[in-house]
Amino acid sequence: MTEKTEMTIKTEPPASNDAQGMTIVARTQGQLVRRRFFRHRGALVGMILFGLVFLLAFSSIGFGPIPGWWDKPWTGSGTVVDRGRPTLSVIPEFLGGAGMHLGEHPFGQDNIGKDYFAMTMRGAQVSIIVALTIGLVSTAVGTVLGALAGFFRGKIEAVIMRFTDVMITIPVLVIAAVVGSATGNLGPYFMAIMLGLITWTSVTRLVRGEFLSLREKEFVEAARAVGTSSMRIIFKHILPNTLGVIIVSATLAISSGILLETALSFLGFGVKSPDTSLGLLISDYKNAMVTRPWLFWWPGLFIVAIALSVNFIGDGLRDAFDPRQNRVRD
Amino acid sequence: MTSVHIAKRLSEAKRPGTTEVLKVENLQVSFPTDDGLVKAVRGVSYTVHEREVLGIVGESGSGKSVSSMAVMGLLPKSARISGAISYRGDDMLKMSERKRRSLRGRKIAMVFQDPMTALNPVHTVGDQLAEAVLAHELVPYKQAQARAKEMLDLVGIPQAAARLKSYPHEFSGGMRQRAMIAMAIINNPDVIIADEPTTALDVTVQAQILEKLLEVKDAVDAAVVLITHDLGVIAGMAHRVLVMYAGKPVEVGDVEPVFNTPRMPYTAGLLGSIPSLETSGGRLRPIKGTPPSLINLPTGCPFSPRCPMATEVCTTEEPVLEETDGGAHYAACHHWPKLAERADPTAIFRTNSEITP
Amino acid sequence: MLVFIARRLAISSLTLLAATFIMFFLVALSGDPLADLRESSLPDAPRLMEARIAAMHLDEPIPVRYFSWLTGIFQGDLGVNKAGTTVSSLLGGAMESTLKLVVVATVLAAVIGIAIGIVSALRQYSSFDHGITFAAFVCFSLPVFWVATMLKQYVAIEFNDWLRDPYIPLPIILIIALCAGLIWASVYNGDRKGKLTAFGIGLVVTAVILFALSASRWFADPGLGFPFVLVVGLATAAGVAALVAGVEHLQPMYAALGAAGVGALLYYPLQPMLIAPSVLTLLGLFVVAGLVSAAIGWQFGGLLRRQAIPLAVFSGLFVAAMIFIDRLLEAWDGYARALKGRPVATIGSETPNFLGNFWQTTLDSGMHLLLPTLALILVGLASHSRYSRASMLEVMNQDYVRTARAKGLPERTVVIKHAFRNGMIPITTILALDFAGVFGGAVITETVFGWRGMGKMFEVGLREVDPMPVMGFFLVTGTSIVVWNMLADIAYAYLDPRIRLS
Repeated sequence: MTEKTEMTIKTEPPASNDAQGMTIVARTQGQLVRRRFFRHRGALVGMILFGLVFLLAFSSIGFGPIPGWWDKPWTGSGTVVDRGRPTLSVIPEFLGGAGMHLGEHPFGQDNIGKDYFAMTMRGAQVSIIVALTIGLVSTAVGTVLGALAGFFRGKIEAVIMRFTDVMITIPVLVIAAVVGSATGNLGPYFMAIMLGLITWTSVTRLVRGEFLSLREKEFVEAARAVGTSSMRIIFKHILPNTLGVIIVSATLAISSGILLETALSFLGFGVKSPDTSLGLLISDYKNAMVTRPWLFWWPGLFIVAIALSVNFIGDGLRDAFDPRQNRVRD
Repeated sequence: MTSVHIAKRLSEAKRPGTTEVLKVENLQVSFPTDDGLVKAVRGVSYTVHEREVLGIVGESGSGKSVSSMAVMGLLPKSARISGAISYRGDDMLKMSERKRRSLRGRKIAMVFQDPMTALNPVHTVGDQLAEAVLAHELVPYKQAQARAKEMLDLVGIPQAAARLKSYPHEFSGGMRQRAMIAMAIINNPDVIIADEPTTALDVTVQAQILEKLLEVKDAVDAAVVLITHDLGVIAGMAHRVLVMYAGKPVEVGDVEPVFNTPRMPYTAGLLGSIPSLETSGGRLRPIKGTPPSLINLPTGCPFSPRCPMATEVCTTEEPVLEETDGGAHYAACHHWPKLAERADPTAIFRTNSEITP
Repeated sequence: MLVFIARRLAISSLTLLAATFIMFFLVALSGDPLADLRESSLPDAPRLMEARIAAMHLDEPIPVRYFSWLTGIFQGDLGVNKAGTTVSSLLGGAMESTLKLVVVATVLAAVIGIAIGIVSALRQYSSFDHGITFAAFVCFSLPVFWVATMLKQYVAIEFNDWLRDPYIPLPIILIIALCAGLIWASVYNGDRKGKLTAFGIGLVVTAVILFALSASRWFADPGLGFPFVLVVGLATAAGVAALVAGVEHLQPMYAALGAAGVGALLYYPLQPMLIAPSVLTLLGLFVVAGLVSAAIGWQFGGLLRRQAIPLAVFSGLFVAAMIFIDRLLEAWDGYARALKGRPVATIGSETPNFLGNFWQTTLDSGMHLLLPTLALILVGLASHSRYSRASMLEVMNQDYVRTARAKGLPERTVVIKHAFRNGMIPITTILALDFAGVFGGAVITETVFGWRGMGKMFEVGLREVDPMPVMGFFLVTGTSIVVWNMLADIAYAYLDPRIRLS
């Protein structure tokens, strides 16, 4: 197929009601994106999974002053029941299981009798908030820097890009560990903002590239020709066209954010006790693998579930924003 | 485009023979997509004789390129193809993949639209030409290179021996298209399919390339299927012409009668769209509207929504290709006799000035 | 070219310099280097504190400390850590250990990942592609420390337990065979009948092999043996030749078979040389194997020498590697006995105080590398397979691939010659970044598996707020990033003739 025909097939308007097939059904960019996103099975499953984890984490033990439905606190210790084994059962009785119920301590207890379900939920809350913060802060900083560099060119661009080069020379985990170690004591949220302030490099490069190519486009030329102000061109004409790229990279920044936070906490350079996070839980109980493997399994599964669902959402968004991906079915 | 001057006229080329080389019968191609089945080609039939030049004309999306890709066997796997494509009597759609491959590039070769992207940027031109030889016969690499040099000479690339070692990006657009033609003829093919070979080139180069195509076709005794959206190209280049619309041929015949007495309003419209000094005081007569969606075709004649002559019957019944005024001139139109009554068939379309008083 | 390199080096050095400044500040501010002494109840804590303040120049402002560090660097002095050991002596051992750990894993992850990516691109939207895509997403989402800890538990501790009685239960055999069959069926590209056949063959062959291995207690005393080397060597040679060169012209196939056959026949004659070889002998043998294979390829290749020689060399080296592994496995029994039946190691880079012959010590290193390498591969595989898949898909849709097909080239030539070369151009950058990260990328893996490498050095230095080792670590990683990025640019220009370095 030549480029031309392929283009026609792909950009062909969807079946219209018009019997003549002549009028083109107009769909806004937003409608198209939404349609493609919800067609992406992985993204849909990812959305649902992330929604469930989020709801579970924040509704169970409550957040801040808001109480949750789970009665045991994540800080208090208690008596260890049955060596702290999880009481969660998901196999119904008619299949030979113990029936479906949560029990007293669904995720078990640690060696001093803390309820591990509540702890995991607290860890998930912290990890999710930290990951979202890292993702949002790094995307915001990266977008602003990239937009400035790509739009104004010249000295501004040179300074920003040289600075980006310097930051890229330092491996993310290394600088994150240093920053985490310096700010971990000031609470997880402050640390998350600081981590966001050092992980913007890839977004900056991406947004700059988009701006560089878009600023040469005819519609920007046209806007400039009629005397539109720079700010208006950036926000009204260029930024909306880079939104797809930015949203996708924000999603990916969130998923790498959760892995970064948990890795730092595992190494001891991230979230610090008395607060907890999924990474810290694994670090604290990594030696319990033989005696109480569930202390190791639950937080790990939650990390994987969160990162995986966010990754799938990101993949769905990428497909949705990139019309080239509109694929031919087999 | 009619101003293109073709030094080597078709009349000077060798006469076509009577042996059928390529015969396409009721070819249908469709692609399943998320939005539904795209019926890109809905029944195309044509025959190409030895040394004959057949022009296929149509707008983008009319199925002209897809049908030639089907002949080459280059459509993606998802394409659903039916009908028959015979090379010297053998149906290529029923052949083993291996046998089919041995025809591809050896007996039926292709020149693509965009020479900028059709050559591999990381291999030398000489290597890519020699490779075409080595794909079909086991000869020493040097011998294949020698053949490549010969071909570059033939298509008029100066210093061919040195140019063999060049990379495609070191060639200009016209030179690359010459190299593509060299690649197409390197195995002495019977049919060369040229898919819009000049669309991507500068106007000044277009004529040279077309001329070269006619010249080399005679050098290797090949027939040419010339695909284009530009009727002007066909006028001096082809023996016969096939006009496609919405995946179907709507008019077939020798070039002269089709150009002088079009029997399908669409062809008339295309002719009226060519800027020329003679027609209606320099005014164009464009066809209104856009080609129909290939997923959801209008009932009846697919051209009816854009056709000024359309009547009730056009929107209910799709016309079949039938003989018009003899001489192997076929058209698919309910109203071709009415068109034949007019002195200037292109006048059925109003000029721009008539639309906006 | 030289001008380009010189200019790049100059710019990169300045970049690196600026980065060291940032790092130094951050590390110096990351905590209190005297924390342990402040909490200490030792009677001479105040004196120790003063000594440390003097040694680390804590009384001077940070920029002054930075510039004295920098002057030291230009004189080849990397400074000392808190305990007074020179950083350069620390670095030597750490770099060696880390290189050993990461190089193998990085290379394997890249090779396997790219191969998987290409296959899944060529089989786009097949069940194999969907499976790989899903697996890649899971791998992307795995925290490496979690995987590493799990590997320790299940691949080391429980596998060692199982080795005491290496019997595979029938249901497990069936499940593995079923998976193998499904993988074969999904890779096979063809009609339903072909897929079913591929599934059946994959299932039966896997089941029979596993059953034989289980029944013969192979895992207790593994080995390959001459018949295995011969048969697998010939089969691999034939398979790869068919895949790369096709079966229309058989010269490349003969060359590959010849090289594999000659290699396998040397199995017995070589044994005396392999009793206690030096590394040099082994390398020499590999080189000889390569040369002899190349000669065989040249001899048999005829007009297709360009294909035959690489194929013959590959087959010859493959058989050589099998003979090496065979010999290594022979040492297994003694090695496992020496370790009281627990050969899969979980901690460190070698068994302390272990004495054995060449093969046993090699095996010891290998067993210690096994788990961390697995962990690193698992995590690294995903990105490579995704990137190469995307790159290949992009390339396969290019016009020049269509041109190559239109010439009548067989699909494998289209893929190998036209798509692969172009598809690899963007991958080089990613590979370079990967290798650049070799020194710094294994901080977590080293921690979990107790390797005393660069990562450990960084981690301890940072924990103790000790800038010198951290800066030493950073100097190495930063330099390697700079150098590899430049190598990537050069490779780029080499692979893509459109790019000229200037």
